[in-house]
Amino acid sequence: MPEPSERRVVVTGLGAVSSLGTGAHTFGAAIREGRSGVSPIRGFDATGFPHRVGGEVHDFDPRSVLRRLQVSEWGRSGLFAATAARLAVEDSGIDPDLLSRSRTGSCVGTTSGESAVIEQLTEQWVEKGFENLDPRLVRQVPAGRIAWAVNAELALHGEAQTIATACSASNYALGYAFDMIRTGEADYMISGGADSLNRWAHAGFYRLGALAESVCRPFDVDRSGILTAEGGVALLLEPLERAVGRGARIYAEVLGYGVNCDAKHPVSPDPTSIAECIRLAHRNARIRPEDVDYICAHGTGTPTNDATEVKAVREVFGDRLPPISSIKSMIGHTMGAASGFGALMCCLALHEGFLPPTANVSQVDPALGPGVDCVPGTGRDATLRVVQNHGFAFGGNNAITILGRVA
Amino acid sequence: MTTGSGSMSHARTATASAQVPHLSADTTPAAAVSPLVVSGCGVLSAAGPGLRSLGDPAAGGSTSGPAEAGAGLLAPDTDDLPPVPVAPIHDLRTDALGRKGLASLDRTTILALLACHQALGGLSGELSAQDRLRTGVAVGTSTGSIRSSSEFSRDTLVQEKPYLVRASLFPNSVMNCCASQVALRNGLRGVNATLAGGRLSSHAAFRYARNAIVQGHADRVLVGGVEELCPQTLWGWHRSEALAPGVKVGEGAAIFVLEPPESAANAGRSPLAEILACELASSAGRGNAQAVVAAGVATVRRALERSRTSAEEITTVVPGTTGVVGLEAVETAILNRVLGRRTIRRIDPVTMAGETFSAGGAFQLAAWLARPGDRADTALIISLDQDGAVACLVARRTP
Repeated sequence: MPEPSERRVVVTGLGAVSSLGTGAHTFGAAIREGRSGVSPIRGFDATGFPHRVGGEVHDFDPRSVLRRLQVSEWGRSGLFAATAARLAVEDSGIDPDLLSRSRTGSCVGTTSGESAVIEQLTEQWVEKGFENLDPRLVRQVPAGRIAWAVNAELALHGEAQTIATACSASNYALGYAFDMIRTGEADYMISGGADSLNRWAHAGFYRLGALAESVCRPFDVDRSGILTAEGGVALLLEPLERAVGRGARIYAEVLGYGVNCDAKHPVSPDPTSIAECIRLAHRNARIRPEDVDYICAHGTGTPTNDATEVKAVREVFGDRLPPISSIKSMIGHTMGAASGFGALMCCLALHEGFLPPTANVSQVDPALGPGVDCVPGTGRDATLRVVQNHGFAFGGNNAITILGRVA
Repeated sequence: MTTGSGSMSHARTATASAQVPHLSADTTPAAAVSPLVVSGCGVLSAAGPGLRSLGDPAAGGSTSGPAEAGAGLLAPDTDDLPPVPVAPIHDLRTDALGRKGLASLDRTTILALLACHQALGGLSGELSAQDRLRTGVAVGTSTGSIRSSSEFSRDTLVQEKPYLVRASLFPNSVMNCCASQVALRNGLRGVNATLAGGRLSSHAAFRYARNAIVQGHADRVLVGGVEELCPQTLWGWHRSEALAPGVKVGEGAAIFVLEPPESAANAGRSPLAEILACELASSAGRGNAQAVVAAGVATVRRALERSRTSAEEITTVVPGTTGVVGLEAVETAILNRVLGRRTIRRIDPVTMAGETFSAGGAFQLAAWLARPGDRADTALIISLDQDGAVACLVARRTP
């Protein structure tokens, strides 16, 4: 548990590459309005799939943002991460040379690493045989290159950790980055997430019966599943005293996190274990359930997830549930980046004073029980002090982060 | 194993004017780390099962000329494998895991499960059900099972409809499959992390696990690395020409029980070694050998400082890049700069297990543990990756 004497950690820069646009504020404004980033998939040939829409980043142009990376040498996920990181640094107003000179590292979450690269190589295998694999692509396969892309783009000399705990990975990354600064291991950290749209996940979720046809509607009585999606997100973290010292805009303070594993089923979540993860996060952040003003849900839009998630929240909060909404209703499931986008929205919600909405809700599923305020439609003005960000995953990998307004 | 002379001259230019990266004056000083201990371990490679198999190179199966790949094992869908020598695990026995649910598991997961079974089974004080609630997992793997994801992806191309994939195999295509199966099959409900850092994946896992324990997110962590031999990987090595000719591509898993010394002592587990600092860093990147040497020297020195160990106290060096084109010589340059040119015992897992990439760091530690050493034998376990990242772990034998 954090000692009071240890450093407080704040978020001072945000970056996003998403189906709702490039830049955290473009993204955040679209979410607040309840707009959808979902569109027909062009990133792979979706012919033959019954469901053909997703949260794709169309016309991604890393060259317009990146200053150092040779774009042709990196996979799509790495480029998402590096672009989001560069944007976060620009947003923070910090001197990039100071970051480069200081003990600065990165920690980025992902579900499937450079999956778009692996799919290209798989196509080469099928069409021309293994002996014709493109060596340039082979070198782009390691998922660790996602965080290395961030360090290479920003000329960072600290560690570059890529955490691959599937769809809770960005929360794992944020928790680790928080620990690194809190304990003095690092002075600045970029934390984030990145994943690329890929055919194999689209097929896998379809076969699991978890893919919605065209609309993702978490908490709705007619919800039918997820939409596959992609993107990159980054947060710049630094010690509170440094942020204050340089007069930085402080979006939020990272208060703590909890991580655990259901150890029960490869794909089905467990409410008791998720409730325990919430308690771990509260203990680590030294807060109580009644302190929480908002929950940014994992909220995938599958019947199972939303029922399990609300049940777990009830176990901890009783019948006084904080507002709980899902941004996946607008951007789909960005996999390893999902809880990173959630964290980014938590920062904007705390800083600007609003509850992010859940889009596409006609009627909240009565089976979820009374008192579920999923902020339907568009964002709602609200003064928030402490918010809770959920990330769950295949394999029962739960990770929850707690953020607060700096008092 | 040797690399070509080309990469040696590369390193000589590298050492000439390398500078330690300049860090600003207000950078936090390197604090000492609290030592953790390895109180158990499980190992599986071409050299055989168990730590002992790595202790005697003569006993290993992989040093006596290129092993023939079991064609059925490696490539049911393809006749051809590249002309790359391999060090596979023959006759992988899964009896220890029982029968339930094994059919859908891939080789990466099975290798890790077997190593974990060995590590937990060999503990002198067993973990109670209560202990397992606070026991975590940190697995180093560069991509998860690349064979699983690639074959799953292939089905979207070759089946009559792109969605006619086997749903039961979908979790295997996700990188955390292995770590979560380890948790599921052993009831480990603590932190469950998968770390991807290419050749540095196992080092990354150790660093992650160290933080998780010290910061109270878990009482102990099963930590290590895994790498599976498959056509995708072999062709990848062949096409990228990243390994010197003659280097055998191996496979396996090495998993350790990592915990605070008090926790091991209270449970009556005698530690095999102390794990001191584990540092990771980045340099200016690929192709800039000077920068990598500078970052490597700074990282090793920082790891030593945080371990409160002088360069003179290092009695064993365990290299991490043997046979990797362009890296081996850079690694040598770093070690020469930090340790001088005195003769230090050198233990190299590649000679026993082959090139094991993601599992490399874990095999470095295992190979060192497998050899007898003096009471205060202290090892420097270093590695580098093609993208200019460096890693260094310091470990000391416990009396």
